Amino acid sequence: MSPDGLGSAAATGPTGTNAAAQPMLTVRDVRRHFEGMHAVDGVSIDVLPRRITGLIGPNGAGKSTLLAVMAGTLPASGGTITFDGADITRWPAYRRARHGMIRTFQLPSEFAQLTVLENLLVAAQHNRGESLRGALLGRRYWIADERREIDRARGLLARFSMSAKESDYAGSLSGGQKRLIEIMRALMLQPRLLLLDEPMSGVHPSIIGEIASYLEALRDDGLTILIVEHELHMIERLCDPVIVMAQGRVIGQGSMAELRRQREIVDAYLVG
Amino acid sequence: MTYYLTTLGVYAGVDIIACLALNLQFGVSGIVNFSFIVFQAAGAYTAAVLSLPPDSGNGGFQTYVFGAQLPFPIPWIVAAVVGGLLSVPVGLVVLRHLRVDYQAIAMLVLSVIANLVITNARPFLNGAAGLSLVPQPLSEQFNPYTPGYLWGYVAVTFVCAALVFFVAQRVVKSPYGRTLRAMREHELAATALGKNPVVLKMTVFIVGGVIAGLSGAILVGFITIWAPSTWLYPETLILFAAVIVGGRGNNWGALFGAALVPVGFEEATRYLPQFGPPGLVPALQWVAIGLLIIGFLWFRPRGVVPEQPGRFAAAVPDRARLAEEPSVS
Repeated sequence: MSPDGLGSAAATGPTGTNAAAQPMLTVRDVRRHFEGMHAVDGVSIDVLPRRITGLIGPNGAGKSTLLAVMAGTLPASGGTITFDGADITRWPAYRRARHGMIRTFQLPSEFAQLTVLENLLVAAQHNRGESLRGALLGRRYWIADERREIDRARGLLARFSMSAKESDYAGSLSGGQKRLIEIMRALMLQPRLLLLDEPMSGVHPSIIGEIASYLEALRDDGLTILIVEHELHMIERLCDPVIVMAQGRVIGQGSMAELRRQREIVDAYLVG
Repeated sequence: MTYYLTTLGVYAGVDIIACLALNLQFGVSGIVNFSFIVFQAAGAYTAAVLSLPPDSGNGGFQTYVFGAQLPFPIPWIVAAVVGGLLSVPVGLVVLRHLRVDYQAIAMLVLSVIANLVITNARPFLNGAAGLSLVPQPLSEQFNPYTPGYLWGYVAVTFVCAALVFFVAQRVVKSPYGRTLRAMREHELAATALGKNPVVLKMTVFIVGGVIAGLSGAILVGFITIWAPSTWLYPETLILFAAVIVGGRGNNWGALFGAALVPVGFEEATRYLPQFGPPGLVPALQWVAIGLLIIGFLWFRPRGVVPEQPGRFAAAVPDRARLAEEPSVS
C-alpha cells in the first residue's frame, strides 16, 4: 500500500497487466463524516477501465458509503472524485448517471409496481416521451423512440434469459431475478462504469454463479465494474484488483492471492 | 330539482378534475399533497376577486383586493395560472429536501396555516365571512337563474373535466408517466438512473396546481361564495379517499373515486336520519370516510380500478421482422 493510502492499481498493476491504462475513476482523499463519525476517512483509489475491481472489508468498513459517495448518492465531506477526466465531486447523482456512472443498491431497488420490461424502459435516456412536453404531444411524437428502446430492452432480457418474465411485476420476482433487473436496467443506460453494491446478497447460491458469468461477459465486452461484495470466492473469481477497507480507510490492495499474504489484512478481514 | 341536480353535476365535475390532479401528484408520482385544497382555494379566490367589482361596490359590505371585474374566461385562466405559480414556492420549499413523510406533514401544516391566515387577515379576502355575490361567468349575457344556464354550466364543467382527463391520460400513458411511477416506487433508484427527482416532482406539482386552481374557479363561479370554511384541510382528505378508493395511479380510478366518495358517499350520508346530540351525524360522516380509507388500504390497497401495467405489443420474431423491413443495401 502506498503512503497516501492510494491503492496503486494504476501504477503497479497488481497482476502486471494493463499497467499503463488511465484510471476511469480517480478518488483522492475522499472523506464522509456523519456527525463526527468518520465512515470514509481519506480514501484514495483508482478504478481501471475494462476490469472488475473488488471492494471488500468487514461490516462497517465504509465500503457502501464510499460507493454512495462515488455515485453521488451521498455528498463527500472532502476530497475529489474524477470520472473520465471530469471532476464530478459536486455533481448530483442523476448527472453522474447521465455521464455513464451507474450504481446499484445493497437492498433490491426494483420498481415493484412496474413490469420487468417497464423497469428497463425507465432507464432509457433518449426517449422523446420522457418530458412533460413530449407526453402532451402524444404517442405519435415518441412512439419511434419507444419501439427502439423496447427492442433494446428485449435484447437485454434475452441475453439474461429473462424474456419470459417481461410482463411480470418486478416486485413479484425472486431476489436473484431482482438483481438481474438492476444490472439490465443499468445496462440500458450504456454505462461506462458500473458500481455494484453487494449484487450477490440475498441471492440463491445457484444464481450467484450465473450473475458472476454475466459480469465476466460484461467485462469482456469492455465495461468497467466496481463491486462491493462479501462473497470472497466470487471476488476471487471476478476481481483484479481487490481493494480492502477497514474503519473507513484502505488497508490494502492487490490480487486476492497477494492480499492473503498480508498479515494485517488477513487479521482484519480475510479470516482463514 | 334542477338546481339540486345541476349543483350535484358541477360538484361532480369539479371533484373529478380535483381527483385527476391529485392522482397525478399522489397516485402517479407519490407526492402526498395534503395541502391540495389550498391550491383549489387559491384558484377560487383569484377567480372571485377578478370577477367581482371593486369592494366599494355592493354597499361596501365586504373587503378584498383587486376587484377587477374582468370578463369570462380571464378569471378562470388567471386562477389556473395562480394555482401553478403558488406551487412553485411551496414545491421548492417542501419537495426538494424533505422525505416523503415529512413532506406530507409540511403540506398539512401549510393547509392549516393558510386557512388561518386568510381567516384572520380580513382586509385581504374578507376573512372568515369570505366572499359572496361573485358574478357568474357570462351573467351579463345570460340569465344565470334559468335551467338552460345551469345545465350549460354543468356542460362546461364536464368539458373542462374531459380536457383534464385527456391531459392526465397523455401523461400517465407516456414514458414520462412511467418515469413518474418509477420515482414513486424508488426515488433513489430512479435518481441513480439519471432522473432528476426535483424537476420531475416540481413539474407534476405545478401541473397539479394549475388543475386545482381551475377547479376552484369553476366551483366559485357556480356557487358564487367562497370562504375559509369551504376549504378546511379535511376537504383534502376526502379527495385522498376518492383516489385511494378509486385506484391510485389510474385516471379511471380517480374518476370513479370522485363519483363515489365526494359525490355519492357524501350525498348518500346526507339523508341519514338525525339522532343523538347535534353534530353527531356529520361527525359520523367523517368517521365513515376514515373507515373507508383504512378499509381500502387494508383490504384492497390498489383500489376498485387498479393501476394498469404498461402494455406492449408482443416481440416480433426476428425472421418475420427481417421480412418486413426493407433492405438497406
